[in-house]
Amino acid sequence: MSNKPEYTPVDSASSCTLLFLLASALGWLVIGGVLAIVAALQLHSPAFLAHCPVFTYGRVTVMAETSFVYGWLANAGLALVLWVLGRLAGEPLRAQNWALGGTLFWNVGVTAAVVGAACGELTGFSLLGLPKFVQLILFASYIAIAIPGLLAWTGRLRQVSFASHWYGAAALFIFPWLISIVHVMLFAVPVRGVLQPIIAGWYAQCAWTLWIAPLFLCVAYYVVPKVTGKTMPSYEFASLGFWTLLFVGGLTGGRHLIGGPVPAWIPSLAVVSCALLLFHTLIVFLNLKGGVCGGTVATRFISFGLAAYILGALVDVVTSFHGIALHTQFTLFDEAQKQLALYGAATTVLFGGIYFALPRITGKAWFSGALVKAHLTLTLAGILLLLVSLVLASVTQSQELLDKNIPLGDIAGHMQVWLSGAIVAQVILLLGNVAFTANFYLTSCRILNISAPAWFATPAATETHVS
Amino acid sequence: MKNNFLYFLGVFAALGISWAGIVLGSNAQLGNLAPYYDDNEQATFPSWMAGQAARGQLVYKDLGCVACHTQQVRRPGFGSDQERGWGDRQSVARDYIYQPFPQLGSARIGPDLANLGDRKPSAPDADDILHLLYTGGKGMPSYRFLFEKRKVGVGAQPALDALSLTGSQKPAEGWEVVPTNRATALAAYLVSLKNPYTFPEAAPVAAAKDDEVKNMNPAAPNPPPKAGIDANAEPDKTSPAMVAGGTPMASPPTPAPAGQAAASPGAPAPQQGTK
Repeated sequence: MSNKPEYTPVDSASSCTLLFLLASALGWLVIGGVLAIVAALQLHSPAFLAHCPVFTYGRVTVMAETSFVYGWLANAGLALVLWVLGRLAGEPLRAQNWALGGTLFWNVGVTAAVVGAACGELTGFSLLGLPKFVQLILFASYIAIAIPGLLAWTGRLRQVSFASHWYGAAALFIFPWLISIVHVMLFAVPVRGVLQPIIAGWYAQCAWTLWIAPLFLCVAYYVVPKVTGKTMPSYEFASLGFWTLLFVGGLTGGRHLIGGPVPAWIPSLAVVSCALLLFHTLIVFLNLKGGVCGGTVATRFISFGLAAYILGALVDVVTSFHGIALHTQFTLFDEAQKQLALYGAATTVLFGGIYFALPRITGKAWFSGALVKAHLTLTLAGILLLLVSLVLASVTQSQELLDKNIPLGDIAGHMQVWLSGAIVAQVILLLGNVAFTANFYLTSCRILNISAPAWFATPAATETHVS
Repeated sequence: MKNNFLYFLGVFAALGISWAGIVLGSNAQLGNLAPYYDDNEQATFPSWMAGQAARGQLVYKDLGCVACHTQQVRRPGFGSDQERGWGDRQSVARDYIYQPFPQLGSARIGPDLANLGDRKPSAPDADDILHLLYTGGKGMPSYRFLFEKRKVGVGAQPALDALSLTGSQKPAEGWEVVPTNRATALAAYLVSLKNPYTFPEAAPVAAAKDDEVKNMNPAAPNPPPKAGIDANAEPDKTSPAMVAGGTPMASPPTPAPAGQAAASPGAPAPQQGTK
């Protein structure tokens, strides 16, 4: 990171918008990390904060997940996608006021969702801890943020488009559709009975495969060739990989409903789709494997993220089979899979993207190399420890759930050893993220010269003297 | 990909296909699922939730109980659900048609609750549940904020619904612990969770072979319908006429008058619950 980064007017013209998105993303990352520690503590010892209705385990998990997904992943992903699309367009982002206003309202919406969850406005659905009143705010503000990106996409210099274009534009298009469908079918005119969990499961899967995954793949497809400086291998297959993800990705959600009170074709379809999706994963691997050799912080994060993405896809296939799902269903293995996807894959790729983008957006190198190293080490160690702890806990849980003689209360006790590992992991991750956030603010504040804004200057300096 | 419009159409089609397939497809299959009218019982199942229970479900939802408890019993042989006494049969889509907020859940830190009010050998009553909520259990926190600790007035009797606590939990002399309305509603909801009636599509698969074991309970010996083999999954495959022993089922959308029960003469009586 010591080399002076390239610096173009394309980046500097949009620095305000992008920094606003990134700064809010990092704020949510830290808030989500604190909440995740509280949730991990409660899973380990249920009595922790039990007297406080705001912090029941059910509410804390939702608050942590909402901060993480809609606060961190969405803000950071959008910032990087806008940046990539702007760069590919070859001109500064247009209509940035829309993005600025949208970001403001998006964060107001996420705040309302987190506060709402604390007050009991829960939906009971995974990845959808958004109260009814928040969904419309998020819908409108997401469109506002997406406008500069779409203008950059349609107004690009060359007619040909790149893989980053496809993934980025798809992420911008799809989220508003998803949230509006869910709003209508689950909240405005709710469907009956088990159709609700089916639709919620469909949303959760689409939010991952059609929204979050395209967000970070857009970044990976841009940064990896930039860093390596080489043509992407097997690039001619990239579009096939993209369309496979789009057409098959939305069908894989049913694997969570195996054995449930839903039509059997939904989980069966998921098995087939999960296997088909491996085709997409293979192409992503072939295209981006060149980045694995790169030695920069950005490519280290991104290659870790891609490894997690590929591993996650394989695990999805395996656990979608009946015989395996019998052991993993309803255990913490689900949680481990979720963390592997959202933290292991999406977050690390976005970290890599930010490490690559911020020096270019601000025109300055990172403030502290030590903090960068600390963040890298702590993040990778934290994720590995978290995954290992959750998987080991789920092994105990799975064996004992199948044994009818062990009461559920005892199972929770037997998992405690491993769950304390999860607490340590969450603390490590939070420390890493605090280092990252500090580094980010120190780097960007230097540029914006926020240290002495006019309204904090001495009164005398602001007065106009007339003699 | 040079054409923006074609690209947009492709993205639209991709999302549209998964939406139409999964959301609309399951809606077409289950959207009109009717309650089941039983001749012998002269009643339809499932029954409506009582008002107090419906309020309790809101409490269940807003406390986030779903983070640790599922409400879906899997079929016998798939997991230990049945051996643990969580239910004699699997949950099917028809069980949920009257629930405004079905809380299927996806984690079992605590036990499944789909059939809590009908547990074997003994189901908890509202008092047991209130006690558990107040004291907490192994692996479950106590929810004391659902209770009010207050002074018993001078010369007054303790409230009727005051918890009878013992040991260290016992409040000091002259004090009593009474459940709030939220706690009472939540307990009423949890007690109301029961699936006593075995729908044709829910007949236990395992019961088909060792029938004698399953007939220990006073339920009518019910030849498991053919559709039961795979029906947990596709209850409406043959919709609208559900195959129950080969005879079309009467499926009145609303509780039908008793006379209409004759619509399925000769159909084997679906297995009844113990109640």
